[in-house]
Amino acid sequence: MTIALPPETAKTVPDTASLAAPEIVRGAAVYFDGTCSARNDVAVEAGAAGLRITAHRVLDEWSYAELRRMSSPEGVLRLGRSGETLLARLEIRDTVLAGTIEERAETLDRGGAAERRLRRKVVALSLAAGASLILTAIFGVPVLASRIIPFVPLAAERKLGDAIDKQIRSALDTQHLGPAFACGAGTGEAPGRAALDTLVRKLETGAALPFRLNVEVVRRSEPNAVALPGGHVYVDEGLIATAQTPDELAGVLAHEIGHVAYRDGTRTVLQTAGLSFLFGMMLGDFIGGGAVVIAARTVLKSSYSRRVESAADAYSVGLMEDIGGDPRALGNILARIVADKAGDDKDRRMKILLDHPETRDRIAAIDALAASRPTMPLLNAADWSALKQICSAPPAKGATTAPGDGR
Amino acid sequence: MTTAEALNPAPSAGAANFLGKEAAYWRLRIKGAALLMVTLGLYRFWFATDVRRFLWSNTEIGGETLEYTGLATELLGGFLLAIAILVPLYTAIAGTALALAFDKAEEATAAISFAVLVLLGQFALYRARRYRLTRTVFRGVRFDQHGAAWPYALYALLWWSIAVITLGLAYPWAQASLQRFKMRHTCYGDLLGSFEGSGSALFLRGLPIWLLVVGPIVFAFFALGAMIDWDALSRVTADGENGPLDLLAGNIGFHRIFYIGAVALGTSIIAAVLLYPLFQAVTWRWWISGLRFGDVSVNSRISIAQVYRIYLRFILYIVPFMLLVMIVGGVCVFAGSAMIGSNHGSALVQLVSSAVTLGLYVVIALGASTIYQVVVTFAMWRLAVQSAELSGATALAAVRASGLPSSALGEGLADALGVGGI
Repeated sequence: MTIALPPETAKTVPDTASLAAPEIVRGAAVYFDGTCSARNDVAVEAGAAGLRITAHRVLDEWSYAELRRMSSPEGVLRLGRSGETLLARLEIRDTVLAGTIEERAETLDRGGAAERRLRRKVVALSLAAGASLILTAIFGVPVLASRIIPFVPLAAERKLGDAIDKQIRSALDTQHLGPAFACGAGTGEAPGRAALDTLVRKLETGAALPFRLNVEVVRRSEPNAVALPGGHVYVDEGLIATAQTPDELAGVLAHEIGHVAYRDGTRTVLQTAGLSFLFGMMLGDFIGGGAVVIAARTVLKSSYSRRVESAADAYSVGLMEDIGGDPRALGNILARIVADKAGDDKDRRMKILLDHPETRDRIAAIDALAASRPTMPLLNAADWSALKQICSAPPAKGATTAPGDGR
Repeated sequence: MTTAEALNPAPSAGAANFLGKEAAYWRLRIKGAALLMVTLGLYRFWFATDVRRFLWSNTEIGGETLEYTGLATELLGGFLLAIAILVPLYTAIAGTALALAFDKAEEATAAISFAVLVLLGQFALYRARRYRLTRTVFRGVRFDQHGAAWPYALYALLWWSIAVITLGLAYPWAQASLQRFKMRHTCYGDLLGSFEGSGSALFLRGLPIWLLVVGPIVFAFFALGAMIDWDALSRVTADGENGPLDLLAGNIGFHRIFYIGAVALGTSIIAAVLLYPLFQAVTWRWWISGLRFGDVSVNSRISIAQVYRIYLRFILYIVPFMLLVMIVGGVCVFAGSAMIGSNHGSALVQLVSSAVTLGLYVVIALGASTIYQVVVTFAMWRLAVQSAELSGATALAAVRASGLPSSALGEGLADALGVGGI
């Protein structure tokens, strides 16, 4: 809101640099003294060192150094003094007088160059802050989560696991089978359950976890498994069907035990909270910012989960070697799971593995870690075929046996 | 002296005027939105300060303009202070939730946390109002607000609960009471504020709106209630067999429930959309006409037609904007996917298309908000100022200064809590 000088009056304004005693410029203004709201119509003299404000007598004298520009409507130069608790104001509409004062008082930032410089600095600093926030999210949050995990009591993790368990179970049990959702209790399924227990006990002994594992096979056709905080592991029926050797199944179980041992459930909770704080509170409180925040969180979460998965893979390799199983079996079953999605076409199988660099890299990392030596299968042939039959009994509809339990 | 008088016109006692040009405000808003996007929102403190400076300094009362003296760095400081307070608080809430949750106390914890946050939000709004008032200077004298914020927060929580429980019927009295509280603690120099608007007056003017918006839903509930066989329902609920919903459906028929519900909800939504400008006109006029400073009183002449014109203009701006963004976005996606081609694998195409979608979303959200801010918020401010008339305004020329500027903590809290401070 600079008042531009009209060209014809510009020459009447003296150049302060070249003249020792600049000419006094006079004009009319409105003055408020800051103690009372009364309006004073005054005459202002812009001298060499400052302004003299008069109305019959001298009301005030302000030096140029203490002048500050205050926000005003267009066409008005509103002046105040720095460091004042009284809000004395001088409002000047006279363009010649206003131009002279702007020329002589450097603090008024004529043309707004200093203000623009400040704004550019703000934008640059904001960009730096944004970058630092993103780096903190990528590197700082996982480290911080790892540091905090030892202080989270195991009992709290158990509770968390129990709470998640209820939700996960009902989410997984899409057919509402209720208690029959888990395999191993139906007719002819008991030997399978016993074989599974044998395998889990071997793994558990090697892993030396601070609490007992609770592994359940459930009637779902996906080749998948999931570990919850506190040691609850769900293995889908589809995974048992996909596994060709006991060691392949054991490799996946060892991977899930890795998640339990590293307390990855608690880690996810802590990391999510950290991200929410960084991106929800510090940034993005503008309209449309919500979407940016959600996108950033999604990308970061998948980067976290990639790191967590490779750590669990490494754990699986170590545990399998400890108990004398085949550490590469995990890689074999991973490759088969990806390939099965492509169907029987050989060429497509190769291509789909290329299209999933994550899985390909995981298999390569597993092979690099694993020492190659001959191993014995972790279960004998009889136990393995029993385990393959763990879900052989047709599921009884849960809703008829125990109403309401399936939900 | 004649030239001096022409340059510095003497005030015309009670007139209020708005001097700012809409074009200048468009420039301010568009530049601000672009910088918000670039700085991930951190520019908001400077943006808010610029906006307030513009609005304040172009608001003229009795020939003199207001002045906003707040600084962006103060808002930033207030925000950082608010973060320092809220982080331990959030941690405590999360910790308590983790310790208690999964027990029976889950709902109680959630309710208490919610009440604490609402209370804190009202506290923040009151303190933020104080910050703004102490940064508002008129004729070399600042406004001020005294009184503790906690009593206000409790009072507000109480009134808003009553308003919600009564389905909005108590809203006029809640507003009147809270405005009285705020204005009683507001002053301009040594001139004490007060609020004269009565809840009953607003109630009478707002009752037709309430009847058309909330009425249909209430009516539908009563209509359905009359059709239900309550004895049968309580027997079924006691037995716990099947769902009570099945019985309801058998009793009345699902399509009938659906029909009554849809008609009621549809009527209510259409009425809400059509009557919103009317509601705005009524409440603004009521509020401005209730403001008092000592013997100075304000009268608002906002007309309903003027407010409807503002909202119609918004529709005229927002619809072409949305169409334009969609066309440009569609062309971008099409051109982008044609350039990348299909031989680069699906991951890249997916990445590019989600980035474009995200960009479009941000542009739409910021653009729509900018249009709303200029075409509606700015226009409402201008209308409110221009239609206001002061009586007894000569008293404004003899006010003694008092008060000191307050901290920006309230603004920061309101911002961090997302209760609409900045």
